[in-house]
Amino acid sequence: MGIEKMLFGGKAEQKVLEKIKTHIRILWSASDCFHKALEERDRDLVYCVPDLEREGDSVRREIVSKIYEGAFLPFLRSSICRFVEIVDEAFDVLEDAAYEFENLNLQLDEEIEEDCIKIADINSKMCEMLLIAFETLFGKGDLREKNLAVRIYEKKVDEIKFDLLKKLRKKEIKNFWEGKTLADFISYLTHVSDVIEDASDYLTAIKISLK
Amino acid sequence: MKAEEIMVKKIEFIEADALVYDAIERMIDKRLRSLVVRPKEEKDTYGVITARDIVFKVIGKNLDVKKTKVDEIAEKPLICINRAMELEHIISLLKNYNISRAFVCDGVEVVGVVALLDVMGAALIQKAKGS
Repeated sequence: MGIEKMLFGGKAEQKVLEKIKTHIRILWSASDCFHKALEERDRDLVYCVPDLEREGDSVRREIVSKIYEGAFLPFLRSSICRFVEIVDEAFDVLEDAAYEFENLNLQLDEEIEEDCIKIADINSKMCEMLLIAFETLFGKGDLREKNLAVRIYEKKVDEIKFDLLKKLRKKEIKNFWEGKTLADFISYLTHVSDVIEDASDYLTAIKISLK
Repeated sequence: MKAEEIMVKKIEFIEADALVYDAIERMIDKRLRSLVVRPKEEKDTYGVITARDIVFKVIGKNLDVKKTKVDEIAEKPLICINRAMELEHIISLLKNYNISRAFVCDGVEVVGVVALLDVMGAALIQKAKGS
């Protein structure tokens, strides 16, 4: 019996792994939904983010319970739980961004709208890559390569963020709350990629711990 | 992967009669490696000025950056590709012309730029998705 089979091959382990994939897929759907919400300025699409966040929460609870019922060897449990928590944090940040977008009445200034949509699109692509990376952790393929792809995406978000902040600083502030809401929105929108990168980095750490 | 998925939309333009010094200032301030040079007159075409041009054609020849005009060292015309060009064709084009960036044009309008670093990143992402 190979080490992989021994560590992840049991029924309980396989169930958890499938649930984690579902968790990431839901995050991907939520990111995609948010990207479309920004593009189409559609309130229903904005609401799909908190809906999917709740769904993700429930999957996260199932994963944690399964792990503490005995799936995986004890030394792996905390690492896998931590990974799931990081993914959950990405859900929270995305949800915050969606709420702030709603507080902006689904309106973004012309000069920043395109950049925001681009970031939302990259966030969604990063979720897809995180799923591929996770599948690599317990399967075949080069995790380092997937992790690098995630980092390339994150760097792109950073570049756009830098320009966005420059544009924001030139903007005239008409009232405090409008300015704060917009600043918070940009901050949440650009933080999603940081959290996904953290999750991807954590996968690499888990992989190293298995050697 | 198509050019429009890879391209960077952040493009800075400079007037043809601006000084190389202005171009250097702009490139340093905005952390850019190239600037698109606007046509000098109606019949003229867009050009490009890169850090390489400045170093080799001005600084390396001991010319004065405050006396040399952008138009004197700009490469013209721009090598343009369309939004739908696939990654492999972009790589061939960059290789064949021995250039490090191609501009994405929509008619006469320059809408983006694809540089070697963007190509490298895109190729890695494509590989990570596929393998």
